[in-house]
Amino acid sequence: MQSVVVHPGEVDEALRGAEAEVPAGRVGEVVLPSKTLTAAERVGIYQAMYPLRMAEALLADYPALAHYLGDEGFRDLVQGYVQAFPSRTYTLNSLGEHLPEYVKTARGVRRPEFCHDLARLELAVSEVFDAPETPPLSEHAIASVSPEAWEHAVLAPVEAFRLLAFRYPVNAYLQTVKDDDHDHPKARLKDTWVAVYRRDYAVYRLELSRAAHDLLADLTVGRPLGTALTRAVAGGGRRAPTEQELFRWFREWVSGGVFRSVTLP
Amino acid sequence: MSNRWDLPDLGIGVGLRTVHFGHILSQHPPVDWFEVLSENFLNTGGRPLHVLDQVVERYPVALHGVSLSIGSTDALDLGYLKELKALADRTRARWVSDHLCWTGVLGRNTHDLLPMPYTEEALRHTVARVREVSERLERPLVLENPSSYVEFAASTLTEWEFLARLAEEADCGLLLDVNNVYVSAFNHGFDPREYIAGIPADRVVQYHVAGHTNKGTHILDTHSDHALPEVWELYRLAWARTGPTATLYEWDEDIPPFEVVHAEARKALVHREALVATR
Repeated sequence: MQSVVVHPGEVDEALRGAEAEVPAGRVGEVVLPSKTLTAAERVGIYQAMYPLRMAEALLADYPALAHYLGDEGFRDLVQGYVQAFPSRTYTLNSLGEHLPEYVKTARGVRRPEFCHDLARLELAVSEVFDAPETPPLSEHAIASVSPEAWEHAVLAPVEAFRLLAFRYPVNAYLQTVKDDDHDHPKARLKDTWVAVYRRDYAVYRLELSRAAHDLLADLTVGRPLGTALTRAVAGGGRRAPTEQELFRWFREWVSGGVFRSVTLP
Repeated sequence: MSNRWDLPDLGIGVGLRTVHFGHILSQHPPVDWFEVLSENFLNTGGRPLHVLDQVVERYPVALHGVSLSIGSTDALDLGYLKELKALADRTRARWVSDHLCWTGVLGRNTHDLLPMPYTEEALRHTVARVREVSERLERPLVLENPSSYVEFAASTLTEWEFLARLAEEADCGLLLDVNNVYVSAFNHGFDPREYIAGIPADRVVQYHVAGHTNKGTHILDTHSDHALPEVWELYRLAWARTGPTATLYEWDEDIPPFEVVHAEARKALVHREALVATR
Protein backbone atom coordinates (compact mmCIF):
# COMPACT_ATOMS: atom_id res chain seq x y z
CA MET A 1 0.00 0.00 0.00
CA GLN A 2 2.84 2.38 0.85
CA SER A 3 4.41 2.04 -2.58
CA VAL A 4 1.10 3.11 -4.12
CA VAL A 5 0.55 5.97 -1.68
CA VAL A 6 3.95 7.55 -2.39
CA HIS A 7 3.91 6.93 -6.15
CA PRO A 8 4.23 10.24 -8.05
CA GLY A 9 1.95 9.29 -10.98
CA GLU A 10 -1.63 8.09 -11.37
CA VAL A 11 -2.93 5.48 -8.94
CA ASP A 12 -3.54 2.95 -11.72
CA GLU A 13 0.04 3.40 -12.85
CA ALA A 14 1.22 2.88 -9.27
CA LEU A 15 -0.84 -0.29 -8.99
CA ARG A 16 0.72 -1.59 -12.21
CA GLY A 17 4.20 -0.73 -10.94
CA ALA A 18 6.70 -3.36 -9.94
CA GLU A 19 6.74 -2.26 -6.31
CA ALA A 20 3.05 -2.90 -5.70
CA GLU A 21 2.76 -6.47 -4.53
CA VAL A 22 -0.75 -6.83 -5.89
CA PRO A 23 -1.46 -6.60 -9.63
CA ALA A 24 -3.78 -3.73 -10.56
CA GLY A 25 -6.57 -6.05 -11.64
CA ARG A 26 -6.54 -7.86 -8.31
CA VAL A 27 -6.44 -4.90 -5.91
CA GLY A 28 -10.05 -5.75 -5.01
CA GLU A 29 -8.77 -8.93 -3.40
CA VAL A 30 -6.90 -6.83 -0.84
CA VAL A 31 -8.99 -3.66 -0.50
CA LEU A 32 -12.76 -3.77 -0.55
CA PRO A 33 -14.75 -1.40 -2.78
CA SER A 34 -17.41 0.82 -1.19
CA LYS A 35 -20.88 1.50 -2.54
CA THR A 36 -19.55 4.55 -4.36
CA LEU A 37 -15.83 3.94 -4.99
CA THR A 38 -13.75 1.14 -6.48
CA ALA A 39 -10.92 -0.34 -4.44
CA ALA A 40 -8.39 1.60 -6.53
CA GLU A 41 -10.29 4.86 -6.06
CA ARG A 42 -10.27 4.34 -2.31
CA VAL A 43 -6.50 3.78 -2.22
CA GLY A 44 -6.26 6.80 -4.51
CA ILE A 45 -7.61 9.04 -1.74
CA TYR A 46 -4.45 8.39 0.28
CA GLN A 47 -2.27 8.67 -2.82
CA ALA A 48 -3.74 12.06 -3.70
CA MET A 49 -3.15 13.44 -0.21
CA TYR A 50 0.52 12.44 0.03
CA PRO A 51 2.01 15.06 -2.34
CA LEU A 52 -0.24 17.76 -0.88
CA ARG A 53 1.01 17.00 2.61
CA MET A 54 4.66 17.01 1.50
CA ALA A 55 4.21 20.27 -0.43
CA GLU A 56 2.49 21.92 2.54
CA ALA A 57 5.36 20.96 4.84
CA LEU A 58 8.03 22.22 2.44
CA LEU A 59 6.10 25.38 1.62
CA ALA A 60 6.19 26.28 5.32
CA ASP A 61 10.00 26.13 5.27
CA TYR A 62 10.64 27.46 1.75
CA PRO A 63 8.05 30.18 1.00
CA ALA A 64 10.45 32.34 -1.05
CA LEU A 65 11.71 29.41 -3.13
CA ALA A 66 8.09 28.40 -3.77
CA HIS A 67 7.31 31.97 -4.76
CA TYR A 68 10.23 32.09 -7.17
CA LEU A 69 9.40 28.78 -8.83
CA GLY A 70 5.63 29.34 -8.97
CA ASP A 71 2.94 26.80 -8.05
CA GLU A 72 3.70 24.35 -10.85
CA GLY A 73 7.46 24.62 -10.56
CA PHE A 74 7.40 24.12 -6.81
CA ARG A 75 4.99 21.21 -7.09
CA ASP A 76 7.29 19.50 -9.59
CA LEU A 77 10.30 20.17 -7.38
CA VAL A 78 8.57 18.69 -4.33
CA GLN A 79 7.45 15.63 -6.26
CA GLY A 80 10.99 14.84 -7.36
CA TYR A 81 12.49 15.77 -4.01
CA VAL A 82 10.36 13.48 -1.85
CA GLN A 83 11.17 10.59 -4.18
CA ALA A 84 14.89 11.32 -3.75
CA PHE A 85 14.74 12.24 -0.06
CA PRO A 86 11.61 10.69 1.49
CA SER A 87 10.92 11.43 5.14
CA ARG A 88 12.61 8.90 7.37
CA THR A 89 11.98 10.50 10.74
CA TYR A 90 8.98 11.11 12.96
CA THR A 91 8.95 14.81 12.21
CA LEU A 92 8.21 16.77 9.06
CA ASN A 93 10.46 19.51 10.47
CA SER A 94 13.49 17.89 8.90
CA LEU A 95 11.86 16.94 5.58
CA GLY A 96 13.49 19.84 3.74
CA GLU A 97 17.03 19.51 5.05
CA HIS A 98 18.38 18.23 1.70
CA LEU A 99 16.42 20.62 -0.50
CA PRO A 100 19.29 23.14 -1.03
CA GLU A 101 21.55 20.44 -2.46
CA TYR A 102 18.71 18.82 -4.41
CA VAL A 103 17.52 22.01 -6.10
CA LYS A 104 21.01 22.67 -7.42
CA THR A 105 20.86 19.70 -9.76
CA ALA A 106 17.12 19.05 -10.08
CA ARG A 107 15.81 18.82 -13.63
CA GLY A 108 13.65 21.63 -14.93
CA VAL A 109 14.55 24.18 -12.25
CA ARG A 110 15.28 27.65 -13.66
CA ARG A 111 18.33 29.42 -12.28
CA PRO A 112 19.36 26.49 -10.05
CA GLU A 113 22.31 28.35 -8.52
CA PHE A 114 20.02 31.16 -7.38
CA CYS A 115 17.50 28.61 -6.05
CA HIS A 116 20.32 26.84 -4.21
CA ASP A 117 21.34 30.05 -2.44
CA LEU A 118 17.74 30.95 -1.66
CA ALA A 119 17.07 27.48 -0.23
CA ARG A 120 20.26 27.66 1.88
CA LEU A 121 19.04 30.90 3.41
CA GLU A 122 15.56 29.54 4.12
CA LEU A 123 17.01 26.35 5.63
CA ALA A 124 19.23 28.48 7.89
CA VAL A 125 16.14 30.40 9.04
CA SER A 126 14.39 27.12 9.91
CA GLU A 127 17.45 25.77 11.72
CA VAL A 128 17.82 28.96 13.75
CA PHE A 129 14.11 28.92 14.60
CA ASP A 130 14.41 25.40 16.05
CA ALA A 131 17.90 25.60 17.58
CA PRO A 132 18.29 25.09 21.33
CA GLU A 133 17.97 28.27 23.36
CA THR A 134 21.27 29.53 24.78
CA PRO A 135 21.33 32.74 26.78
CA PRO A 136 23.30 35.54 25.11
CA LEU A 137 26.36 37.14 26.61
CA SER A 138 25.36 39.30 29.56
CA GLU A 139 26.54 42.84 30.23
CA HIS A 140 28.04 41.50 33.47
CA ALA A 141 30.15 38.95 31.56
CA ILE A 142 31.39 41.66 29.21
CA ALA A 143 32.18 44.06 32.04
CA SER A 144 34.12 41.36 33.89
CA VAL A 145 36.76 41.20 31.11
CA SER A 146 39.56 43.67 31.70
CA PRO A 147 40.50 45.90 28.72
CA GLU A 148 43.92 44.30 28.29
CA ALA A 149 42.43 40.78 28.31
CA TRP A 150 40.16 41.35 25.31
CA GLU A 151 42.98 40.74 22.86
CA HIS A 152 43.08 37.05 23.82
CA ALA A 153 39.34 36.66 24.42
CA VAL A 154 37.49 34.03 22.40
CA LEU A 155 33.83 34.68 21.67
CA ALA A 156 31.39 31.83 21.02
CA PRO A 157 28.10 32.34 19.15
CA VAL A 158 24.72 31.22 20.45
CA GLU A 159 23.40 27.93 19.07
CA ALA A 160 20.76 29.80 17.09
CA PHE A 161 23.25 31.42 14.74
CA ARG A 162 24.24 30.80 11.12
CA LEU A 163 26.68 32.79 8.98
CA LEU A 164 26.25 32.53 5.23
CA ALA A 165 27.88 33.79 2.02
CA PHE A 166 25.88 33.86 -1.21
CA ARG A 167 26.51 34.54 -4.89
CA TYR A 168 23.03 36.06 -5.30
CA PRO A 169 21.00 38.73 -3.41
CA VAL A 170 18.73 36.12 -1.84
CA ASN A 171 18.16 37.91 1.46
CA ALA A 172 16.71 40.87 -0.42
CA TYR A 173 14.57 38.48 -2.43
CA LEU A 174 13.27 36.76 0.71
CA GLN A 175 12.43 40.14 2.24
CA THR A 176 10.35 41.18 -0.78
CA VAL A 177 8.40 37.93 -0.52
CA LYS A 178 7.78 38.51 3.21
CA ASP A 179 6.70 42.09 2.51
CA ASP A 180 4.45 40.97 -0.37
CA ASP A 181 6.46 43.41 -2.46
CA HIS A 182 6.41 42.42 -6.13
CA ASP A 183 9.54 44.42 -6.96
CA HIS A 184 11.88 41.45 -6.46
CA PRO A 185 15.62 41.79 -7.04
CA LYS A 186 16.78 40.03 -10.20
CA ALA A 187 18.42 36.64 -9.89
CA ARG A 188 21.70 38.08 -11.09
CA LEU A 189 25.16 37.36 -9.70
CA LYS A 190 25.97 39.60 -6.74
CA ASP A 191 27.97 38.49 -3.71
CA THR A 192 26.05 38.94 -0.44
CA TRP A 193 26.61 37.96 3.19
CA VAL A 194 24.03 37.33 5.89
CA ALA A 195 23.99 36.41 9.58
CA VAL A 196 20.84 34.62 10.76
CA TYR A 197 20.31 34.57 14.50
CA ARG A 198 17.61 34.43 17.15
CA ARG A 199 17.01 36.76 20.03
CA ASP A 200 14.08 36.43 22.46
CA TYR A 201 12.72 33.63 20.24
CA ALA A 202 12.48 35.88 17.17
CA VAL A 203 14.64 35.14 14.10
CA TYR A 204 16.61 38.00 12.53
CA ARG A 205 18.56 38.25 9.27
CA LEU A 206 21.39 40.76 9.23
CA GLU A 207 22.99 41.76 5.91
CA LEU A 208 26.75 42.10 6.30
CA SER A 209 29.60 43.57 4.30
CA ARG A 210 32.32 41.18 3.16
CA ALA A 211 34.66 42.51 5.85
CA ALA A 212 32.08 42.14 8.62
CA HIS A 213 31.29 38.61 7.44
CA ASP A 214 34.97 37.62 7.46
CA LEU A 215 35.52 39.06 10.92
CA LEU A 216 32.46 37.31 12.29
CA ALA A 217 33.56 34.09 10.61
CA ASP A 218 36.98 34.35 12.28
CA LEU A 219 35.36 34.93 15.67
CA THR A 220 32.84 32.13 15.38
CA VAL A 221 35.51 29.56 14.51
CA GLY A 222 37.31 30.48 17.73
CA ARG A 223 40.01 32.94 16.70
CA PRO A 224 40.99 35.28 19.56
CA LEU A 225 39.58 38.77 19.20
CA GLY A 226 43.02 40.35 18.72
CA THR A 227 43.93 37.95 15.90
CA ALA A 228 40.56 38.39 14.20
CA LEU A 229 40.82 42.19 14.36
CA THR A 230 44.37 42.15 13.02
CA ARG A 231 43.21 40.05 10.07
CA ALA A 232 40.22 42.37 9.51
CA VAL A 233 42.33 45.52 9.57
CA ALA A 234 44.88 43.93 7.20
CA GLY A 235 41.95 43.78 4.79
CA GLY A 236 43.27 40.99 2.56
CA GLY A 237 43.68 43.40 -0.32
CA ARG A 238 40.35 45.12 0.30
CA ARG A 239 39.55 48.35 2.11
CA ALA A 240 40.15 47.87 5.81
CA PRO A 241 37.19 48.62 8.11
CA THR A 242 37.42 51.85 10.07
CA GLU A 243 37.45 51.93 13.85
CA GLN A 244 33.91 53.35 13.81
CA GLU A 245 32.74 50.49 11.63
CA LEU A 246 34.29 47.92 13.95
CA PHE A 247 32.60 49.51 17.00
CA ARG A 248 29.26 49.62 15.21
CA TRP A 249 29.49 45.97 14.18
CA PHE A 250 30.35 44.77 17.68
CA ARG A 251 27.61 46.88 19.22
CA GLU A 252 25.13 45.38 16.76
CA TRP A 253 26.29 41.80 17.31
CA VAL A 254 26.43 41.99 21.09
CA SER A 255 23.10 43.78 21.44
CA GLY A 256 21.60 41.33 18.95
CA GLY A 257 22.61 38.43 21.17
CA VAL A 258 24.93 36.79 18.64
CA PHE A 259 27.46 35.70 21.28
CA ARG A 260 26.82 33.47 24.24
CA SER A 261 30.17 33.41 25.99
CA VAL A 262 33.59 34.96 26.24
CA THR A 263 36.50 32.75 27.24
CA LEU A 264 39.89 33.93 28.40
CA PRO A 265 43.03 31.78 28.12
CA MET B 1 -18.73 5.80 35.31
CA SER B 2 -15.20 7.05 35.09
CA ASN B 3 -12.31 5.42 33.28
CA ARG B 4 -10.50 2.61 35.03
CA TRP B 5 -7.41 4.68 35.77
CA ASP B 6 -9.46 7.52 37.27
CA LEU B 7 -7.82 9.87 34.81
CA PRO B 8 -9.61 13.19 35.29
CA ASP B 9 -12.41 14.68 33.23
CA LEU B 10 -10.44 17.77 32.21
CA GLY B 11 -13.58 19.44 30.83
CA ILE B 12 -13.74 21.14 27.44
CA GLY B 13 -10.44 21.70 25.65
CA VAL B 14 -9.11 22.83 22.32
CA GLY B 15 -5.97 22.00 20.38
CA LEU B 16 -2.98 24.27 20.96
CA ARG B 17 -2.23 25.77 17.55
CA THR B 18 0.49 28.21 16.46
CA VAL B 19 -1.97 30.77 15.08
CA HIS B 20 -3.48 31.12 18.56
CA PHE B 21 -0.22 31.44 20.53
CA GLY B 22 -0.41 35.22 20.81
CA HIS B 23 -4.06 35.21 21.90
CA ILE B 24 -3.55 32.49 24.49
CA LEU B 25 -0.50 34.12 26.07
CA SER B 26 -2.00 37.61 26.16
CA GLN B 27 -5.66 36.86 26.94
CA HIS B 28 -5.43 33.66 29.01
CA PRO B 29 -8.81 32.46 27.68
CA PRO B 30 -10.97 30.44 30.11
CA VAL B 31 -10.46 27.11 28.36
CA ASP B 32 -10.32 24.04 30.61
CA TRP B 33 -7.32 22.36 28.98
CA PHE B 34 -5.21 22.09 25.84
CA GLU B 35 -4.28 19.16 23.67
CA VAL B 36 -0.73 19.47 22.38
CA LEU B 37 0.46 17.90 19.11
CA SER B 38 3.55 16.13 20.39
CA GLU B 39 5.63 16.28 17.21
CA ASN B 40 5.33 20.07 17.02
CA PHE B 41 7.29 20.37 20.25
CA LEU B 42 9.90 17.65 19.80
CA ASN B 43 13.24 18.35 18.15
CA THR B 44 12.89 22.09 18.67
CA GLY B 45 14.28 24.52 21.19
CA GLY B 46 12.63 27.58 19.75
CA ARG B 47 9.51 29.62 20.34
CA PRO B 48 6.99 26.73 20.27
CA LEU B 49 8.59 25.09 23.30
CA HIS B 50 8.91 28.45 25.03
CA VAL B 51 5.19 29.06 24.49
CA LEU B 52 4.31 25.55 25.66
CA ASP B 53 6.23 26.06 28.89
CA GLN B 54 4.07 29.11 29.59
CA VAL B 55 0.85 27.32 28.64
CA VAL B 56 1.49 24.43 31.04
CA GLU B 57 1.96 26.89 33.88
CA ARG B 58 -1.74 27.85 33.53
CA TYR B 59 -3.53 24.94 31.92
CA PRO B 60 -3.57 21.14 32.10
CA VAL B 61 -2.42 19.51 28.88
CA ALA B 62 -2.51 16.09 27.23
CA LEU B 63 -0.12 15.06 24.46
CA HIS B 64 -1.49 13.80 21.16
CA GLY B 65 0.87 12.31 18.57
CA VAL B 66 0.77 11.28 14.93
CA SER B 67 4.07 9.43 14.51
CA LEU B 68 3.96 6.46 16.87
CA SER B 69 3.00 4.13 13.98
CA ILE B 70 1.79 1.51 16.42
CA GLY B 71 0.54 -0.77 13.65
CA SER B 72 3.72 -0.75 11.56
CA THR B 73 5.93 -3.78 11.11
CA ASP B 74 8.99 -1.56 11.50
CA ALA B 75 10.64 -1.56 14.91
CA LEU B 76 9.37 1.05 17.36
CA ASP B 77 11.36 4.28 17.17
CA LEU B 78 12.96 4.23 20.61
CA GLY B 79 14.52 7.67 20.14
CA TYR B 80 11.10 9.12 19.46
CA LEU B 81 9.65 7.40 22.53
CA LYS B 82 12.45 8.75 24.70
CA GLU B 83 11.83 12.31 23.49
CA LEU B 84 8.07 11.83 23.87
CA LYS B 85 8.45 10.70 27.48
CA ALA B 86 10.68 13.67 28.23
CA LEU B 87 8.07 16.03 26.75
CA ALA B 88 5.29 14.32 28.73
CA ASP B 89 7.30 14.73 31.94
CA ARG B 90 8.20 18.34 31.15
CA THR B 91 4.58 19.31 30.47
CA ARG B 92 3.09 17.14 33.23
CA ALA B 93 0.86 15.70 30.51
CA ARG B 94 -2.21 14.04 31.97
CA TRP B 95 -1.92 11.33 29.30
CA VAL B 96 -0.28 10.58 25.96
CA SER B 97 -2.33 9.51 22.95
CA ASP B 98 -1.77 8.54 19.33
CA HIS B 99 -3.72 6.71 16.63
CA LEU B 100 -4.51 3.11 15.78
CA CYS B 101 -2.72 3.16 12.44
CA TRP B 102 0.63 2.87 10.72
CA THR B 103 2.48 5.76 9.13
CA GLY B 104 5.10 3.91 7.11
CA VAL B 105 7.30 0.84 6.68
CA LEU B 106 10.87 0.12 5.59
CA GLY B 107 12.07 3.22 7.39
CA ARG B 108 9.90 5.60 5.42
CA ASN B 109 7.30 7.90 6.96
CA THR B 110 4.33 8.94 4.82
CA HIS B 111 3.07 11.15 7.67
CA ASP B 112 -0.42 9.82 7.03
CA LEU B 113 -2.54 7.77 9.40
CA LEU B 114 -2.84 4.63 7.28
CA PRO B 115 -5.47 2.01 8.14
CA MET B 116 -4.72 -1.46 9.43
CA PRO B 117 -6.28 -4.80 8.57
CA TYR B 118 -8.27 -5.94 11.60
CA THR B 119 -7.05 -9.51 11.98
CA GLU B 120 -5.99 -11.71 14.90
CA GLU B 121 -2.37 -11.47 13.72
CA ALA B 122 -2.51 -7.66 13.59
CA LEU B 123 -4.12 -7.65 17.03
CA ARG B 124 -1.35 -9.75 18.60
CA HIS B 125 1.27 -7.57 16.92
CA THR B 126 -0.33 -4.34 18.13
CA VAL B 127 -0.99 -5.57 21.68
CA ALA B 128 2.71 -6.35 22.14
CA ARG B 129 3.74 -2.94 20.83
CA VAL B 130 1.22 -1.04 22.95
CA ARG B 131 2.48 -2.80 26.05
CA GLU B 132 6.06 -1.88 25.21
CA VAL B 133 5.16 1.75 24.53
CA SER B 134 3.22 2.04 27.81
CA GLU B 135 6.21 0.62 29.66
CA ARG B 136 8.63 3.03 28.04
CA LEU B 137 6.35 6.03 28.60
CA GLU B 138 5.66 4.84 32.16
CA ARG B 139 1.95 5.56 31.70
CA PRO B 140 -0.88 3.85 29.85
CA LEU B 141 -0.95 4.69 26.18
CA VAL B 142 -4.25 6.08 24.88
CA LEU B 143 -5.19 5.18 21.29
CA GLU B 144 -7.60 6.99 19.01
CA ASN B 145 -9.89 5.31 16.50
CA PRO B 146 -8.81 6.55 13.06
CA SER B 147 -10.93 7.80 10.20
CA SER B 148 -10.28 5.70 7.12
CA TYR B 149 -11.03 5.46 3.44
CA VAL B 150 -10.23 1.81 2.74
CA GLU B 151 -11.17 -1.51 4.32
CA PHE B 152 -9.09 -4.64 3.91
CA ALA B 153 -10.57 -7.88 2.62
CA ALA B 154 -8.43 -9.75 5.14
CA SER B 155 -10.14 -8.15 8.17
CA THR B 156 -11.98 -10.63 10.36
CA LEU B 157 -12.90 -8.16 13.12
CA THR B 158 -14.79 -4.88 12.99
CA GLU B 159 -12.81 -1.81 14.02
CA TRP B 160 -14.71 -1.53 17.31
CA GLU B 161 -14.14 -5.22 18.08
CA PHE B 162 -10.44 -4.75 17.36
CA LEU B 163 -10.24 -1.66 19.57
CA ALA B 164 -12.15 -3.31 22.41
CA ARG B 165 -9.90 -6.35 22.43
CA LEU B 166 -6.77 -4.25 22.00
CA ALA B 167 -7.73 -2.07 24.96
CA GLU B 168 -8.37 -5.08 27.17
CA GLU B 169 -5.40 -7.20 26.12
CA ALA B 170 -2.86 -4.37 26.04
CA ASP B 171 -4.44 -2.52 28.98
CA CYS B 172 -4.56 0.79 27.16
CA GLY B 173 -6.96 3.73 27.13
CA LEU B 174 -9.09 4.91 24.24
CA LEU B 175 -9.56 8.31 22.72
CA LEU B 176 -12.95 8.09 21.06
CA ASP B 177 -13.19 10.43 18.08
CA VAL B 178 -16.88 10.60 17.30
CA ASN B 179 -16.24 12.47 14.06
CA ASN B 180 -13.97 9.65 12.92
CA VAL B 181 -16.71 7.16 13.75
CA TYR B 182 -19.11 9.20 11.61
CA VAL B 183 -16.61 9.55 8.74
CA SER B 184 -15.67 5.86 8.67
CA ALA B 185 -19.32 4.79 9.04
CA PHE B 186 -20.17 6.83 5.93
CA ASN B 187 -17.14 5.56 4.00
CA HIS B 188 -17.58 1.90 4.93
CA GLY B 189 -21.32 1.68 5.39
CA PHE B 190 -21.58 0.53 9.00
CA ASP B 191 -23.93 1.76 11.73
CA PRO B 192 -22.07 4.30 13.90
CA ARG B 193 -24.39 3.52 16.83
CA GLU B 194 -23.27 -0.08 16.78
CA TYR B 195 -19.66 1.17 16.87
CA ILE B 196 -20.33 3.40 19.90
CA ALA B 197 -22.14 0.56 21.68
CA GLY B 198 -19.17 -1.76 21.07
CA ILE B 199 -16.55 0.46 22.69
CA PRO B 200 -15.65 -0.48 26.30
CA ALA B 201 -16.85 2.62 28.16
CA ASP B 202 -14.44 2.30 31.06
CA ARG B 203 -11.49 2.53 28.69
CA VAL B 204 -12.48 5.89 27.20
CA VAL B 205 -10.22 8.61 28.58
CA GLN B 206 -10.94 11.37 26.08
CA TYR B 207 -13.24 12.43 23.25
CA HIS B 208 -12.49 14.21 20.00
CA VAL B 209 -15.14 16.15 18.10
CA ALA B 210 -14.44 17.79 14.74
CA GLY B 211 -15.82 18.86 11.39
CA HIS B 212 -15.27 17.10 8.07
CA THR B 213 -15.70 17.54 4.32
CA ASN B 214 -18.31 15.53 2.45
CA LYS B 215 -17.16 14.87 -1.12
CA GLY B 216 -20.34 13.03 -2.06
CA THR B 217 -18.76 9.67 -2.73
CA HIS B 218 -16.81 9.74 0.52
CA ILE B 219 -16.07 11.95 3.53
CA LEU B 220 -12.64 13.39 4.27
CA ASP B 221 -11.61 13.96 7.87
CA THR B 222 -10.40 17.52 7.36
CA HIS B 223 -10.96 19.15 10.79
CA SER B 224 -11.89 22.24 8.82
CA ASP B 225 -15.36 23.17 9.96
CA HIS B 226 -18.07 23.08 12.59
CA ALA B 227 -19.27 19.61 13.57
CA LEU B 228 -22.56 18.38 12.15
CA PRO B 229 -25.50 17.74 14.52
CA GLU B 230 -25.18 14.04 13.65
CA VAL B 231 -21.62 14.04 15.04
CA TRP B 232 -22.76 15.76 18.22
CA GLU B 233 -25.50 13.14 18.50
CA LEU B 234 -22.83 10.42 18.48
CA TYR B 235 -20.99 12.34 21.20
CA ARG B 236 -24.16 12.45 23.26
CA LEU B 237 -24.73 8.74 22.74
CA ALA B 238 -21.20 7.85 23.77
CA TRP B 239 -21.14 10.27 26.71
CA ALA B 240 -24.30 8.63 28.07
CA ARG B 241 -22.23 5.44 28.35
CA THR B 242 -18.96 6.83 29.65
CA GLY B 243 -20.09 9.72 31.85
CA PRO B 244 -17.93 12.81 32.38
CA THR B 245 -14.91 12.51 30.12
CA ALA B 246 -12.42 15.08 28.81
CA THR B 247 -13.55 16.45 25.46
CA LEU B 248 -11.58 18.28 22.82
CA TYR B 249 -12.58 20.09 19.64
CA GLU B 250 -10.13 19.71 16.73
CA TRP B 251 -9.81 22.43 14.09
CA ASP B 252 -6.72 22.12 11.88
CA GLU B 253 -7.50 23.65 8.47
CA ASP B 254 -8.70 27.18 7.80
CA ILE B 255 -8.38 27.74 11.53
CA PRO B 256 -10.65 30.58 12.69
CA PRO B 257 -9.98 32.92 15.65
CA PHE B 258 -9.57 31.22 19.01
CA GLU B 259 -13.00 32.35 20.26
CA VAL B 260 -14.71 30.56 17.36
CA VAL B 261 -12.92 27.27 18.06
CA HIS B 262 -13.56 27.59 21.77
CA ALA B 263 -17.26 28.36 21.20
CA GLU B 264 -17.56 25.28 19.01
CA ALA B 265 -15.89 23.19 21.70
CA ARG B 266 -18.24 24.55 24.33
CA LYS B 267 -21.21 23.15 22.42
CA ALA B 268 -20.23 19.92 24.15
CA LEU B 269 -21.43 21.49 27.40
CA VAL B 270 -25.01 21.53 26.17
CA HIS B 271 -24.94 17.79 25.64
CA ARG B 272 -23.07 17.09 28.86
CA GLU B 273 -25.42 19.21 30.96
CA ALA B 274 -28.48 17.63 29.38
CA LEU B 275 -27.15 14.19 30.21
CA VAL B 276 -26.23 15.14 33.75
CA ALA B 277 -29.76 16.50 34.25
CA THR B 278 -31.29 13.18 33.23
CA ARG B 279 -29.06 11.10 35.48
